Amino acid sequence: MKTSRIWTLGASAALLAATLATPALSQETIRIIGHRSPPNEYYTGAMQKALPEGRVSVELMPIDKEMELASITMSSKSDAIDVLYLTDSSLKRFAANGWLEPLDDLWAKYKEEYKLDDFPPAIMEAVSYDGHIYSMPVLTNTELFFYRKDLFDEAGIAAPKTMDDYQNAAAKLDSGRMSGTIMSLKPVDAALNETHWYLNAVGDGWFDENWRPIFNQEAGVKAITRMKEMSEFAPRGFTSHANDESTINLQQGLAAMGLQWFTRAASMDDPQKSRVVGKIDWVAPPGGGARVANDGFAISAFSSGDKEEMFRMLAEASSVDSMIKGAEFSMPPRLSVLQNEELSEKYRWYPAARAALEDGKPFPALPDFNDVGDIVTRHVLRAVTGEVEVKAALDQAAKETEELLASRGYYKN
Amino acid sequence: MSMRSQGRRRGYLLFAALCIFTFVNLIPLLWAVLPSFKYPADAFTIPPTLIFEPTLEYHREVWFENDFFRYLINSLIVSAGTVLISVPCGTLAAYALSRIPRRNSGPILNVLFTIRMFPHMLLAIPFFVMGTFLNMIDSYPLLILALVAINQPFTIWLLHGFFLDIPRDLDEAAAIDGCNSWQAFRIVILPLARPGMTVAALFSLLMSYNEFLFALVLTGVETKTLPVAIASFGGEDISLWSISAAGAVGIMLPIVVIMLFLQRNLVSGLTAGAVKG
Amino acid sequence: MVRWQRGLWLFCLPSFGLLTIVLLWPLAYAIYLSFFDYYLGSDVRTFVGLGNYIDLLSETRLWNSMWTTIVIAFGSVALEFVVGFALALALYGNRIGTKAFSTLLFLPHIITPVVATLFLKWMLASNWGLVDATLLTIGIEPPDWLGNPLWAKISVILADAWIFTPLIMIVLYAALQGLNNSLLEAARIDGASNWRILRHVVIPALIPAIIFTISVRLMDVFRFFDTIYVLTGGGPGTATETVTMYTYQLGFRMLQVGKASALGVITLVIVAVLLLTINRMLTRIYRKGDQ
Repeated sequence: MKTSRIWTLGASAALLAATLATPALSQETIRIIGHRSPPNEYYTGAMQKALPEGRVSVELMPIDKEMELASITMSSKSDAIDVLYLTDSSLKRFAANGWLEPLDDLWAKYKEEYKLDDFPPAIMEAVSYDGHIYSMPVLTNTELFFYRKDLFDEAGIAAPKTMDDYQNAAAKLDSGRMSGTIMSLKPVDAALNETHWYLNAVGDGWFDENWRPIFNQEAGVKAITRMKEMSEFAPRGFTSHANDESTINLQQGLAAMGLQWFTRAASMDDPQKSRVVGKIDWVAPPGGGARVANDGFAISAFSSGDKEEMFRMLAEASSVDSMIKGAEFSMPPRLSVLQNEELSEKYRWYPAARAALEDGKPFPALPDFNDVGDIVTRHVLRAVTGEVEVKAALDQAAKETEELLASRGYYKN
Repeated sequence: MSMRSQGRRRGYLLFAALCIFTFVNLIPLLWAVLPSFKYPADAFTIPPTLIFEPTLEYHREVWFENDFFRYLINSLIVSAGTVLISVPCGTLAAYALSRIPRRNSGPILNVLFTIRMFPHMLLAIPFFVMGTFLNMIDSYPLLILALVAINQPFTIWLLHGFFLDIPRDLDEAAAIDGCNSWQAFRIVILPLARPGMTVAALFSLLMSYNEFLFALVLTGVETKTLPVAIASFGGEDISLWSISAAGAVGIMLPIVVIMLFLQRNLVSGLTAGAVKG
Repeated sequence: MVRWQRGLWLFCLPSFGLLTIVLLWPLAYAIYLSFFDYYLGSDVRTFVGLGNYIDLLSETRLWNSMWTTIVIAFGSVALEFVVGFALALALYGNRIGTKAFSTLLFLPHIITPVVATLFLKWMLASNWGLVDATLLTIGIEPPDWLGNPLWAKISVILADAWIFTPLIMIVLYAALQGLNNSLLEAARIDGASNWRILRHVVIPALIPAIIFTISVRLMDVFRFFDTIYVLTGGGPGTATETVTMYTYQLGFRMLQVGKASALGVITLVIVAVLLLTINRMLTRIYRKGDQ
């Protein structure tokens, strides 16, 4: 007994000593956190290669975990994170909070060396807030309309151009095991993308010019009613489907069409993942207004590392050469790469993607849009599942949105 | 004779029922292990495929390309640290609480419980602030301390019931022999408390090995534990579903092996009276 | 106080010292924050007194989620208890391979909860989940496990039960092993039926263990969040949004830390009152049974 107790005490003392001796965080490494996706795996890999081995550590995780970690870290002004991946809407939020390092000076300094004027104005707007540049644009992602070319040909219908075409096609191809269309309505992110498309394609969008919600007006009610009608052709379980589930439904030949991200297109032709190799084709989403996202990597305002070095690392990863290689996974935001004709030959979905980029829309550019999205998707889902009437649900959503935006000081005058 | 054969038949029925239930209960686990050997195209089919071309690629990727060994070591350090601090502290406190009048110990135990019911996610934010202030984010001690703290109420409660079962006469006899309270505890009580401490240790181990939220917030590159590492596999591309499955098998194996060896002590410890409070 | 008891408070020192520094401080801080309008994104926090509490208590969302929580909590604890107890009795009565059974049945509780829920998701996912794929293959149209508001609740309850029934089973099984065999023998010789033995001898003897398991499970099921987060994310709509899911939304997604803390305190009070009542009730039944 006695010996074992001494052993225990000794072990715990040794353990404590060992743990206390561990350095809190070696200041040498640059810590990058990001959302795990094929393009991010590629681009963070490029960042690691840009600096000597071991200087850069990358952690990729689901987007909600990344946002939690980043919010908690940066709200307490901790320097635990140096570089982070942000979508355009989160970028506005983080920049408005003062959590990000403005990159204007570095941008000007390295403009020549890294050809930074190659990014189109729309992209620069997406990575800026209040007149300052906050992130290095790394990838453009657009929603595409995926459809089963073979089934459409068989049924003698053309790829849909309008929402009516879409509804008719889905109704026609919906049979037994085959769902007419995928719908990704899992709260919050997936449902928000789908809602964004309907509100733009059928409705008049989200807000008026004073950030007052208009999605509960007639056009918005029509949009969500249409969404509810379309859900008849959706696979069972669509309310808990995110991009993964919808992708699998397409890959397993369980759904005939629907809205999905560019980043998913390549996997449709990958025989290890897909049973419909060569059968899927793409067009720009009918009705237009599906989401376009411009994502980038920003530098934390609280990082204690060498920010110029980090900037050069980011610029290196988004160089022209790097983006040509990354074009398989996401649309390169650089004009010179985007217009490269070889890409369409190599990747079948590029023509559709260019068209989608033209008539797509980013999320409204207010820093609080993610929070608005939380509110609206919750009520849209209640409407789609029939818990409440569409109009009542949207009115409630509009009311809560106005309250939230008022409390964040939007309607001062 | 009829009664005996009836009893025997009932015994067989019971055995058969247990077999069936156990099997059905384990289907989710078995089904989850399969995709780790499948390419995604085979993993999500109707009807479900049992015959497929197996691949070890995803297991290799998890263990050799993703630093799983390092995360495993982190997990083991954190779990061992938590158990080694939590159980001794809890034992001492539980013993003391079992030896003072109930009207004093009752309220203290109730307060401990109330603390336990507070949503952990709301503690995570102050914890992070504290860790930043002390510059201890991404270090083992902070995570260990946090886990010990959230684990203390349960440990104390568990052991308190256990000590109540050990007659006070023993302490008193020791006191008459001239022992002070520490000596009485160490010489007389502690040897008897061993099964209870084992139970407390096993529950602490399970909790600390599996804890996710604090581990996410308080660890970083150096100290990431397995549950945090595995969460990073969920995401955009479905080939990751196979990797998730491989990761899930990876995280399961060590703790299952440990528990296989120790579960006997869990049952015997619990039988010895840990839950008679 | 007797002499040997004098030094006892020193025994509490390490544990309570640690709790005060590491746990009570954040808890007090959270309660303090609950009186402020505090958005994590800005440095400004305004004192609003009970404002957050009044806001929350007058919301239908809070009461809806509270109701959902109660349904799910009691549903899963009841299921876990009934199945766990039955399994414990089965293990107790079984003669062959009991050790193997108890080990295998305990497995789901050992797996990390997030991972365990993921496993269940692969069972229940529509179309390609094992349950659906099997039923569809033999031509049965299964319900929408995660997409129908009622079935989603049931799925969440089943998931929680899969993970936590083993805990109840093992505790009750251990308690059964501690039973006084002579009592059972005496009852059997008196010719009491199995059911009467169970009701009048076994259950009364197990009451402490029963109270223990039920309280621990109820306490945790109110706080637990992994299962629902992974399985349904609170959906469809708000069908499985529990109080903790709502707290998560407020605190981690909207970063309204003040309001989220107030919600935490409200949950704490409600659960504490509920548990106290249940404990009292069970103890009273126990005492009555004794007479």
